Order: sequence, then structure tokens, then C-alpha cells
Amino acid sequence: MFDDTAEQISGKKVLLVLLGPIFGVFYIALLPLIVFMTLLVALPEIAQARKAAIVENAPLCMTCHSSHGLVKVFKNKEKLSVFVNASDFRGSVHSMLSCTDCHQNISMASHPGRVFDSKKAFALDTSKACRTCHTDAQLRARPIHAYLTNRTHGPPCSQCHGAHTVKRLSEWKPAKADNQYCLTCHQENMTKTMNNGETLSLSVDPDDLQASVHTSHVCSDCHNAFSRSSHPVKEFESIREHSIAVSGVCNQCHADKHRAVESSIHYTMMIEGNRDAPVCTDCHGFHDVSQKATYNTLSGVPCRKCHENVFEVYEQSVHGMARLEGQHKAPLCFSCHVAHEVTATAMTKKLKGACLGCHTEAEDLHDAWLPNSQLHLSMVACAACHSPDSQRGIFLRLYDENTGEPFTAEQIVNILGIEYEGLSERIDPHGDGIDSYELWDIVKQLNKEGADAKVTFLGRMDTRTITEAHQLSNKKDAVRKCESCHHADADFFKTVTVAVVRADGRVTQYKADPEVLGSMTSLLSLRQFYVLGSTRLKILDWLGILMVFGGMAVPIGHITLRILTSPIREARRMNKLRKGGRR
Amino acid sequence: MKKIYLHPIPVRVWHWVNALSFIVLIITGVQIRYHELLGLTKFETAVDIHNIFGFILIFNFFIWVVYYFFTGKIKIYIPPLRIKKFVLGSMRQARYYGYGLFMGDENPHHPSPDNKFNPMQQIAYLSIMLLLIPLQLVSGLFLWDIKMFEEWINLAGGIKIVDTIHVFLFLFFSSFIFVHVYLATLGHTPMAHIKAMVTGYEEEEEHEPASA
Repeated sequence: MFDDTAEQISGKKVLLVLLGPIFGVFYIALLPLIVFMTLLVALPEIAQARKAAIVENAPLCMTCHSSHGLVKVFKNKEKLSVFVNASDFRGSVHSMLSCTDCHQNISMASHPGRVFDSKKAFALDTSKACRTCHTDAQLRARPIHAYLTNRTHGPPCSQCHGAHTVKRLSEWKPAKADNQYCLTCHQENMTKTMNNGETLSLSVDPDDLQASVHTSHVCSDCHNAFSRSSHPVKEFESIREHSIAVSGVCNQCHADKHRAVESSIHYTMMIEGNRDAPVCTDCHGFHDVSQKATYNTLSGVPCRKCHENVFEVYEQSVHGMARLEGQHKAPLCFSCHVAHEVTATAMTKKLKGACLGCHTEAEDLHDAWLPNSQLHLSMVACAACHSPDSQRGIFLRLYDENTGEPFTAEQIVNILGIEYEGLSERIDPHGDGIDSYELWDIVKQLNKEGADAKVTFLGRMDTRTITEAHQLSNKKDAVRKCESCHHADADFFKTVTVAVVRADGRVTQYKADPEVLGSMTSLLSLRQFYVLGSTRLKILDWLGILMVFGGMAVPIGHITLRILTSPIREARRMNKLRKGGRR
Repeated sequence: MKKIYLHPIPVRVWHWVNALSFIVLIITGVQIRYHELLGLTKFETAVDIHNIFGFILIFNFFIWVVYYFFTGKIKIYIPPLRIKKFVLGSMRQARYYGYGLFMGDENPHHPSPDNKFNPMQQIAYLSIMLLLIPLQLVSGLFLWDIKMFEEWINLAGGIKIVDTIHVFLFLFFSSFIFVHVYLATLGHTPMAHIKAMVTGYEEEEEHEPASA
């Protein structure tokens, strides 16, 4: 009994415990339904209210502007469709405005019939309407607007925001992925005026980004100052200054390449103030940075941009032709000059090393036929023989015999105690080419008492111009005849240049009188430069003639005297015979 | 007519090898240096021949050194050590060539195996054999392989210096050869000395007593 009662009581409790939550769940589930139903009843009313605002004068306008075929022609013959997509407009942030809120100057009396010069003129004119609501203060809150509103020729608002599809910022930009966010504006045709008046395009072609090796990067990886919340307005003196500044960014990831570049001639030129010296973007581009392999092609090698004249010659050379025929091992610019640490060609050891790097058998092949082949290989540039159509010359360079290293312009300046600018005056005092005494004078000055270097000139045979050095031809055409050089009239010796090399390998050339090679003073100034048959001392040649004729004159003179004096001898002999006979 | 055995076989071999080498070296030398004057062979052939004969000359020089130094005969090259004797001897010889010979005088010097050269020959040949020829051989050797002898060349003051020495001596020897050959014809007959250098025997006219 007691148990039964207890069971009944507990049964009620269980029911209560079970039903409570079920009702609760129902209630919670019903709540949105109630809201939804309420909205369902109320929305048409709200929508009606909105619609009432929109369509205040819309039916009239849309009579025509809902038709696709309607086109406005501007003075410059540009055409603009005047079709307005009503549903787009209803979705826009301006859906509560009426047409004439923006198209303020339109009235039935004057429309259609307003004339504009161009699409842009029309857009600019219409964009003025935006300013009725969007005050300067509101616009200036965003730097990009502040910047644009200050510009005389800023883009019309509609260029970025669209015309009838203007959306709330909140539903528009943040929804976009990183790059798309930036590209919203930057794929448009936008420009920036540099301080010097140049116009820099700020447009980015999304296809370029897609094709580039940096495709996985976001804009702000490189443009670090920019983000969704920050868009500083930067100023640059010129487009060039902009490129130089932008290239600094590459160092973030490519520090190794940057270090290599720091030892290059390009970098040296830049830090010395040559703003035209190439920076990263000059070779690699901005947004279309390509795969490494792209630059390793005849058409893609960036060097040609600046060194076109050299490149044209290279293209016709044995190496260029081989490339053209598809031989991928054939050298391209960087094969010899190295891609980032490009050095001046005067560091000839390196350049010769580049040739011998591929032509490993070259030394042996020369050794097989060329007397003193090692000497030839060290004194004659490869191109001097292997560019047979080129003009050649003698380049005299200063060397320190103690170290065997080139004696650089910096060392010269140091020894002479002068500024670099004064160097050319010391080397070629009259600016009329260096004569033999001036050449000797250079050596004397550099070897003055107390100087620890032992400086002398070394001569090197090379093509006269850098371009010609690239004119390399097939081996069978190379200069092979000894007489081509070992001859007093050889082409090589008609141009003599004193080349002063700087530590970074750059060369300043001074013309010298070819007579210096055969002058008496060359015994002192050029005592380490001698080419068989070609750098003959003039005075020695004359002395030779004198000596040989002198040697011949002795017998001739003596014989002549003997003939002239033969009567004396005859007389004496007769006399003697007579004396003997008498005895 | 008495015969003196003046030139032993090693001397004769040495002399003619020397003579041939000099002629070849001078001709190829002219072609190498004055290419515009002479083009008998290809340049490299001329260089090769010049090199070969250069080495023959070097080898030949050692024949001379070994022969003269090991036999002690080098003394025939040594001029009188007493200045007075040397000067007087030289003057006597110079007087002969410049005067006596025209007057029909006899050559004051009578060569013998132990006293082959007159004082002028002694001083000339001694400096040629111990200074000029070695200098020519060494400078030629340096120029033969400039890289190998780089340091020696630097020590000598530079390649142009070495070349200038070599060329100067080449010019000297070229002119000397005319004088040498001419003097060789001044025996009692024009061919007497030359024959002697082939046969080894110098013929000398029998002399009458000193009363002549």
C-alpha cells in the first residue's frame, strides 16, 4: 500500500520532469517561428514603404532606362549604355534614393539632350552629386579619399564604387580575399602623379599576379605599409625613385641575392648616385616576377633591356646562334657575367675563367699548337682571337709586381695623395693622349721613394670595344696565323689605351700614342710588355742597321785600302827581291 | 811551308756547328723579328727552327766549356795579365791591321797550339765566349718559355729588357760575323785559315832568318 502510493506520487513527478523540457524546447523552437511570422506580416509593409521612396519618380525614368538598347553617345564618339538594372539598384546602398537625387540637373524639359565630352566627363559631372551627401569631412576620414579629393584630376567616385550598384562598405570590401580587396581599386585604370609630373600607373593586372612566381603572396607581403586599415599616401620624386624604393622590399625574402647584388657593378653605380643603375624590378618586373627559367631564354633575358647593342652582337655570335638552335647549354649573358654579382669585365681573370669553365679542353688544345700557350692565354683576351672580325687594341694596365695584382685607381690616388677627380689630369696632363714620356712619368710617380708597391704596366690584347668582345665566332674562324699579331703593322698595335682599373673592376680608358710601345722610354715604363716583332724599339732597329752596315764596312773598307796600297807592297817586294839578288 | 796542328777535332766540330747554328739563328731571327723583310718559311716554322738551333748552340757551348776547361787550354783565351804587355801586344796587332798589312809587313802574331790568339783576339773571344754568348743563350732560353722563366725574367728587370739584350747581341753577332769571316781570309792565302779550321793544320810560310 505504502509502496503503491509512493509509486503514484513518483509517477506524477516523472511526468512533470519529462514534460517540462519538452514544452521548453517547443517554446524555443516556436520563438523564431513567431518572429518569422511577425516579419512575414510586417515586411511587405516595410518593403512597400521603401518602394514608395524609390519609385517616387522611377516609373517615369524606368520607362526608358529599363530597356537594354538605349545608348548615349558622347562627343568623342564613346558610347555608354543607359540601361539601369532595377534589381541591382534595389540591392544597392542607395536603394532609398530617387533617380533625381543624384541626377540632379535632369528635368523633363532638358532630358534627354545634355551633352558631355566623354564618358569620363559624364562620370565626373555625375559624381559631383555624391558630395551633396558625402561631406569632405567624411571623405577625408579615409586617406585614400583624402588624397583623391585633393587631386585636380582625381577619378570619379563611380570608378571605384560603381554607379547604380553602390554598396555599403561593410558588405563590400571585407568579403573579398586579400588580393581581391586591393584589386577592387587597383585593377582599375588608376594613376599617381609623381612630384616631377610623371604619371605612374597604379593598375595591377590580376593575370600578371596569377602568372607570377609570387602568386601565393598577398599584396601586403611586399607592400608592407598597406593593409585593410592603413593606406598611407606616399610621395616619390619620380617613377625611377619609386622603383628604387620598391626594390628594397625584395631583400626581405631574397637576402642572399641582395648580398650578391651588393658586390655587383650595378649596385656600385647605384650607390655612387647613378639612379639609372638597375634595381630588382628592372630585371624582374613588379607584379609579373617570373620563374627563374623564364630569364634563362634568349627572349626573356633581362640584360638586353639596357645592353641591347651588346645583345644584338651576341645573338649573331656562335653562342647566340647555338641558343637559337635550341642548345640550352650555350651560354647566355649570366653564364659568363653571373646573374646578380655582375662585375665589370676588366676583372679578366674571372671572365677568362668563365670561358675555360665550359671549354675545359681549351688550354690543352692551345698548348698543342700555340708556342708559349700559357703566356698567350694570360695576355690575350679570348675574344681577341675568337672574334676575328673585331678591331683590336693594346690595353696597358698597371700592376703591382710585388703582389701580382692590378694596381687600382684607388691605390694610385692614395700614392699620389690626390682626389679621384684629379686622377685623369695626372695620367694624361694635356688631355691629348699619353705620350711615351707621360707614360714613363706615371710609372715614376707611382714608384717614388717610400712607396711599397712596385708598379709597372702590363699589356693586354683585347677587342677595342665591349660589344666586339661578344662577337665570338666559330672556332675555325679564329685568328691562328702568328703574323696577325707578330708583325710591326698588325692591327693590334695601332690603338693603345691606358686602362685604369678601379677596385670594383670598372675601367677608365685613356688614349695613348701607339709610339709608346716602341719608344726608348718603354724600356722603363713597359719593361714587362713585349710582343715578338710588334713592340720593337725603334732605336734598336736603327742601331741594328748601323751595326750590320758597320760590320760590312770593315771588310769593304779594309779591302779598298789593300787595293789602294797594293803598289806600295809591290814596290817593297821588288825592293826586297832586288836586295836579295844583290846579296 | 811548315804545318802546325792548330785546331784539334773537338774545336773544329764545335766551330762549324757554331757557325752553322749562328747562320741559321740569324736568318730565322731576322724572319721572326723583321717579318716584313724576310718570309722564307711560316712564322711558326721559323720559331721552331730558331728554338732547335738555339738548343744546339747551348749544347755546343758546353762542348766548348768542357773541352777548354778540362784540358786547361782555356789559357789560350786569357790575355796577358800584365797590362803593359797586353796593351803593347794589342797595339802591335792593331798597327799591323791598320798599317803593316798594307805595307806588306808580316803578321806579328804567329799562332801555335799554345798561343793561338793575338792579344786582341784574346780579349775579344774571351768576352764573347764567357759573357756575350752565355748572355745570348740565357736570354734566348728565357724567351723560349717565358712562363717557365717568369721569375728569372722579372729578376732581369722584365721581358722587354731580356728581349732587348737578346736582340742587341743578335745585331752584334750579325755584324761581327762579317768582320770574323773577313779576318779569316787574312792568312797567307785567303783560304789558309779556313782550310786550317777544316783540316786542323795551319800552314805557315817558312821564314827566312831574322836578318830579313
